[in-house]
Amino acid sequence: MDLSSFEADNSSSCRLASHIPEVCRTEDCCLGIDEAGRGPVLGPMVYGICFCPVSKKEDLKDLKVADSKTLTETERENLFQKLDEAKSYIGWALQILSPNTISTSMLQRTKYNLNALSHDTAIGLVQYALDSGVQLKEVFVDTVGPAEKYEEKLSQLFPGIEVTVRPKADSLFPVVSAASICAKVARDRVVKDWKFAEDLGEVDTDYGSGYPNDPKTKAWLLKYMDPVFGYPQFVRFSWSTAQTLMDSKAATVHWDDDDEETGEKAAQRQNNRSMLSYFSASAGGKDHNPTRKTHRFFTERRLKSLNTL
Amino acid sequence: MATKKKRTPNAESDSWVVIAADSVIDTQKHDSDPAFVRLRNPATDEASLYLLGSGDVQLYEVKAFQEDFRSWFIGQAVQRDGKLLFVTPMDPLYLILPYLIKSGKEGKFQPVEQLVVDEEFPACSRLLSCTRSLASLHHVTEEKEVGGRKFHRYSEEKTMSWLKKKVERTVAALRMRNVCVGEGVTSATYVRVKPESDGREEDFLRYAHGLLSEYISEQLSKALLTHLGLPEPSSPKEAEPPSKKRKLSDKPVEAGEDYTKFNSADFARKPPKKMTTAQKSLAKVDKTGMKPMSSFFSPKVKAEKK
Amino acid sequence: MSCNTSVTRLCVSSVNEAQRAPVHLTPCEIEHNGPAQVSQYFTATTKNRKQEQTVSFRGRCLRGQELSCPQGYTGLVLKEINKPGSDQEDRTVKVSSVFDKLTYWNLETPPNSDDTVVMAMDWPELAEAIHGPVED
Repeated sequence: MDLSSFEADNSSSCRLASHIPEVCRTEDCCLGIDEAGRGPVLGPMVYGICFCPVSKKEDLKDLKVADSKTLTETERENLFQKLDEAKSYIGWALQILSPNTISTSMLQRTKYNLNALSHDTAIGLVQYALDSGVQLKEVFVDTVGPAEKYEEKLSQLFPGIEVTVRPKADSLFPVVSAASICAKVARDRVVKDWKFAEDLGEVDTDYGSGYPNDPKTKAWLLKYMDPVFGYPQFVRFSWSTAQTLMDSKAATVHWDDDDEETGEKAAQRQNNRSMLSYFSASAGGKDHNPTRKTHRFFTERRLKSLNTL
Repeated sequence: MATKKKRTPNAESDSWVVIAADSVIDTQKHDSDPAFVRLRNPATDEASLYLLGSGDVQLYEVKAFQEDFRSWFIGQAVQRDGKLLFVTPMDPLYLILPYLIKSGKEGKFQPVEQLVVDEEFPACSRLLSCTRSLASLHHVTEEKEVGGRKFHRYSEEKTMSWLKKKVERTVAALRMRNVCVGEGVTSATYVRVKPESDGREEDFLRYAHGLLSEYISEQLSKALLTHLGLPEPSSPKEAEPPSKKRKLSDKPVEAGEDYTKFNSADFARKPPKKMTTAQKSLAKVDKTGMKPMSSFFSPKVKAEKK
Repeated sequence: MSCNTSVTRLCVSSVNEAQRAPVHLTPCEIEHNGPAQVSQYFTATTKNRKQEQTVSFRGRCLRGQELSCPQGYTGLVLKEINKPGSDQEDRTVKVSSVFDKLTYWNLETPPNSDDTVVMAMDWPELAEAIHGPVED
């Protein structure tokens, strides 16, 4: 698995794929979708597909791909090797979503939640297979959000394909386990070989499982928190663990789309600007003209006079 | 998006980001340093911040660009206060004028040093040291020389002529820079195409007059308006022939929101939630003659929603 | 009530020691004044594309554009030294950095000429018209 194109820019999203076996272009195929790294607060989320002719389902089963969650990293690597060796009839593709992509997507002005991101990524991979000439007839996938809705959505997008959405699909359908292995192997490698784009010198890699409730992970987040910048881009800023830690330990940052301000809040915020800028320095009793309107040339450009530095 | 964040007060900033005329830091000429001073703002009669250059030879005004939700990274530091200050040369005559006008009521010729005096703003006498001050007094006063000393008396007539010339200079600059002076919001990518062009000259004059009014008293501003031959503006919301908008360039303008929300029926009402600051200010502006964005999209095409 | 007799001196000789500094205008208010690891987190991860730059700050996508100071103008960063006890006393600022360009950043929106800060840069040239000398 050649991850160099992702490693070249680990802040964005990257697709990796095997060659398409010729038989997949001529025979009816089944395809499984799974993901790796959805829950952790560190590292990428990887979506994977794996496909082969329906006629080769048994061969796939014989590879003993099984339930990848029970396997060790080494066992998974070995299984991926096997899948790779079976390239005459097995194809795969991956979409690696960097933690930065996850953060910026979920934190953008117009809401884009993790489920929507997941759906779009999976859909993109299926479309890629179709565009590459794979004769898809069956698609198997694990649930992401309500199963029925997802199944319906996919069926509508891919007419003529039988879509099956089931919880624990990776233990039910070998193509899904195979996809799961590809995704997990990719995620493991990306995480292990992660190059911090930030200029931070040697970064200690003792972050535990990367899951938000892992004390080791939490300790690592605390260790690498910067009061201004938060964290390196290895971290998913959109995760509540990351946010909560920043809320308590890092400088507060305000954006123009923060929860809508009430009139009171806006007044409070304006008052919190330098109080001196509101002092009028004229002597008592004089008639001033505070209501003289500033010309729109200045207001349009947010230019105003000051009365103190 | 965010949880309700409490805002801690901004303790006085001790640094400022400034864009200043090169002459401010031109160190060669004088011994003394430039200084920020408070002087009487001729338009508001209240204190405003100005800068007197080294040796008091040049006056500058200080304007701050201030947008909400802005901060600075400067080298390896962060400055919470996101203001950007502009220090631009200013004509000292604008600040001297109010003192001349005040004493002009007496009708006597007087030495100018005796006139430019202000208990509240003692630094105002320094204005007379500006190179241009004494040399340009004749634009707004009648001068008399007696025994080698100069005496001045405020002249409204001369002042009007001087201000008119200022207006003309300003109009020329506005035309050259293609500043949008008609009704509505300025945009570099959209230009208002008015069916008649004779409205234009008046628009420029009014705009320039408005700009100059930032530097003169209300009374003087009104007199200038008359002197320019412009009637007091009637309600700006009066019916204006609908003007077409034409894009100046092909630069794509990315929509941050679903603009089909802004259809004509809703335009006058409360804007939808979660507008950006820019959208909020657009909503406040006089929209007479503006076509809503939705009129540019065919009704069948739904704006893309994520 | 503010005092109008005190002035703030701009120690102009400090320009000679001032360093050129990269200056960025962020699309958010950061409640902090002080050192920040700008080059390590921000500069190191900024991507330069033909018309604009992109970077993430706190997991949000920023797009930036470089702006030059107007012709005849210099960027200065002023820093107050020896802050006085009362507002009756004179203050002093020195030039801690200089710049001839700055980068301003928008939250997600591509930078364009309608951005307020770009329009504000029009001001110095217009100021010349309003304040320049009138012929005799």
